[in-house]
Amino acid sequence: MELLYERFGRLAFGLAYRILGESPSAEDAVQEAFLTVWRQAERLDPARGRVGSFLMTVVHHKAIDLLRSRHGQAARSVPLDPATIEAQEADVLDRVATSMGAAAAREALRSLPQEQREPIELAYFEGMTHVEIAEALGVPLGTVKSRLRLGLERMRSAFGIERKT
Amino acid sequence: MNCAEIEELAGAYALRALPEETLREVENHLADCTRHPDIAALQAAALGLAAAADEKEPPPALKARLMDAVRREAAAEGRAAAPAPLRPRGWSWPAWPRLRPYALAAALALVAAGLLGWNVYLQTSDDGGGEATLIRSLTDGGGARGRIVYVRDEGLAVMTVEGLASLPDDKAYQVWAISEGRPTGIGLFDVAEGGRASAAMQVDLTAVDVIAVTVEPAGGSPQPTTAPVLSTEI
Repeated sequence: MELLYERFGRLAFGLAYRILGESPSAEDAVQEAFLTVWRQAERLDPARGRVGSFLMTVVHHKAIDLLRSRHGQAARSVPLDPATIEAQEADVLDRVATSMGAAAAREALRSLPQEQREPIELAYFEGMTHVEIAEALGVPLGTVKSRLRLGLERMRSAFGIERKT
Repeated sequence: MNCAEIEELAGAYALRALPEETLREVENHLADCTRHPDIAALQAAALGLAAAADEKEPPPALKARLMDAVRREAAAEGRAAAPAPLRPRGWSWPAWPRLRPYALAAALALVAAGLLGWNVYLQTSDDGGGEATLIRSLTDGGGARGRIVYVRDEGLAVMTVEGLASLPDDKAYQVWAISEGRPTGIGLFDVAEGGRASAAMQVDLTAVDVIAVTVEPAGGSPQPTTAPVLSTEI
């Protein structure tokens, strides 16, 4: 557990901090996520999904749930199963979780056109639904759907993720 | 919900940006429909966003609190706070394990594919059902890099590397599986032109914390004697 914390603590806290800001809940999200991983350690299968990928997914879910409950919104948690983190996702996080990879991930996000970056950031870091994003930005829902998809397609290509055919 | 609607929602779905009810409709559709193979790639891209936030040093007290909580839960469950140690195993001369031919062929195909490029996505299964999955990319921050592919059914890890320095005849690269801080030698290899090499090792990766590569005398050492040139957490 200590090794895992050494390896992912900064990345995990960085993500929780981005979502929740300077507050005890950012620490709570990180602590809860590490504990979740520890409780499920026996079920984590290294041949399917990597612990780090699972951990970062849990940090994200916990932080978004805390943010939504802070705003009086319903949590949108779905039960987390390590088996749902597929090898492809694990590989992506392995690559972006190096400091070079993380810089590349930030650059990939920064280089998106603003009209695509904005809705993606609202979805991922603010936990908004596409309906909420459309309201916040004052654009039609269909536009939000296509911008989310186009932006994510660009991120996919920047990360070098192959499309399956 | 039809396939066109699913495709329209793919980005929002991958980002978990759908209201509960819509999410359920999408998932019901995807459970029965195989016509949306690119959604997994979008989900992988969304996961990469986790690294797009700036890293930040957590307050020191957080680690102490976390380790306390782990110890408390461990005591309550009568469980060790760390993974069970690897079964004690003596040093044994590494060798290509005896494999059923299909598994060996699959492993060799993976070795070849692994050397083609960094972004190759590997998840193959062959007729015999020997599934192999890329589990880890290694890098040392310099010119050397590699990857490990795990053939789970065979307990076989296939490592490919490139960019490692050539060694004199009396030296070899040795691979270590480190568990609970204890290294066990699991293989030796030399590099060919371009610093390339591949090695297959029989190892249960579920009990291993770290895989590392060091330079050792040609016959291998019982314990590492130099700093790792490559290492990765498992």
